[in-house]
Amino acid sequence: MAFIEARGVEFAYSPEEPLVIDGIDVKIEKGSYVAILGHNGCGKSTLAKLLCGIVAPTEGQILVDGINTCDGEQEFELRKKCGMVFQNPDNQLVASVVEEDVAFAPENLGLPREEIRKRVDSALATVDMSEYAKHTTHKLSGGQKQRIAIAGILAMQPECIIFDEATAMLDPTGRKEIAAAMKRLNKELGITVVTITHYMGEAIEADRIIVMNQGKIIADGTPAEIFSKVEQLKEVSLAVPQVTELLYMLECDGYQMPRGILHAMDAAEVLTQKLKK
Amino acid sequence: MLKDVTFGQYFPGNSLLHKADARFKVLILIEYIVIVLLANSAYAVGLGLLLTAFLMVFSGVKIRLLLKSVKPLIFVLVFTCLINLFLTRGSGAPLVDWSFIKIYKEGVRNAIAMLIRLLSLVLGTSVLISFTTSPLELTDALESLLSPLKKIKVPVHEFAMMMSIALRFIPTLIEETNKIISAQKARCADFDSGNIFKKLKAMVPILIPLFVSAVRRAEELADAMECRCYHGGKGRTKLNVMHAKLRDYIFLLAVTAIIAGVVVLNRYDASFIKNLIKDLVF
Repeated sequence: MAFIEARGVEFAYSPEEPLVIDGIDVKIEKGSYVAILGHNGCGKSTLAKLLCGIVAPTEGQILVDGINTCDGEQEFELRKKCGMVFQNPDNQLVASVVEEDVAFAPENLGLPREEIRKRVDSALATVDMSEYAKHTTHKLSGGQKQRIAIAGILAMQPECIIFDEATAMLDPTGRKEIAAAMKRLNKELGITVVTITHYMGEAIEADRIIVMNQGKIIADGTPAEIFSKVEQLKEVSLAVPQVTELLYMLECDGYQMPRGILHAMDAAEVLTQKLKK
Repeated sequence: MLKDVTFGQYFPGNSLLHKADARFKVLILIEYIVIVLLANSAYAVGLGLLLTAFLMVFSGVKIRLLLKSVKPLIFVLVFTCLINLFLTRGSGAPLVDWSFIKIYKEGVRNAIAMLIRLLSLVLGTSVLISFTTSPLELTDALESLLSPLKKIKVPVHEFAMMMSIALRFIPTLIEETNKIISAQKARCADFDSGNIFKKLKAMVPILIPLFVSAVRRAEELADAMECRCYHGGKGRTKLNVMHAKLRDYIFLLAVTAIIAGVVVLNRYDASFIKNLIKDLVF
């Protein structure tokens, strides 16, 4: 069974307003690394909130590891399984001191003190922020704050973390830090990572990309598959990675080029081979 | 313009006051306020000042930072001093008598007393609580001190949580205010000219966006807290459990003793003590 399963999900913020999510069926496997792409207002953030149960779908249902997100009784079980990191690092830090913020979730869970200590230390170590344990949160950089936010979620020991445009407000350095952290969570700790983004550079790191437009899923597949469909992506005003774009333009000019090249080095190889011929 | 506001900011450190139990610090703050308000005679005020100086030294906070925390209050301080100086009517002959201005000995005394009191209150509170106590520690302390009120259904935990979040967001909102001010200035907003009403009116375009963004922040924070299993104070445990140490009790007792000292010193003014010393010596 899939870890997250959405069946015929529809959602509108109020009955009069148009549907933000318009009939979504999706399965996300345990331990996978999924990117959800889409331009502004396509409903991707709403989908994130639906997946971790902050809002309930108006139609259809979402199961996270068998728990229905509408089931108020099992709200805690759900939250423990599926954490969420938000866009603005300032708006999700509860405490003024780093380790107290990370301890917030395990404190809420009512864990004994030694266990909280252990979880805080290991969560901070995972995001490489151990030396900042006693620092005040507001003096950290954006990337550091966001890593604290990740640690705060990790302290719940979730099986899945959803990143809702967690890098959108960061500078390039911060973005790299968070991207590296996401990869590590997925590959080393086996945590299911769902990242919502409009940076192509982040999306190509994922194992699977889901493209959304106007509340619907319009494409779903590996990065190579998705970015082969350059025309389709352009139709929904999404960019493709720079090298993919370059090869596509060459193709438009009449050269035979392979599709689905995502990394600069791969593209360089393709081009040198073409030039040698 | 808001960079100088240090009030409500915690400076992590390792001083004696940092290490003291926050619950005791709250109790000591109450005693300290009593001392400052009670001290009336010169000796009692002197004792109070001595205590303030001790607290400042034990906090390990740099003098420069302490002065900064007083800076925004200069207007209030000067204003109250002048009011006291000019409006107090004494019994003896006025020290200065120039057209409508009359300054009496009592006026000078009141002005100085008021200045010392206000300064002590600001410095004492900063040093005892805001600079040396992390907001969460303070919240925990208040929660634990007020916990008997839970029995009569006062939402103590909720109040404590609200307070700690308010404190946590002070620096964030100050930063935001500065950004908004810059943005409005870039669009030719004028905050510095005109009379006080014009200046107040100029604040409106700062306050409205600030307010809107604060509400938005609150919404997101609520989501984030919910995602981290927050469900009120029931069944919550703590990472840092407060342990009162012997030195906390000694600290509290010492300050209590100073209250007694102030009460005693208040009764005897300078001349009495002079006589007392004379009696003892001769």
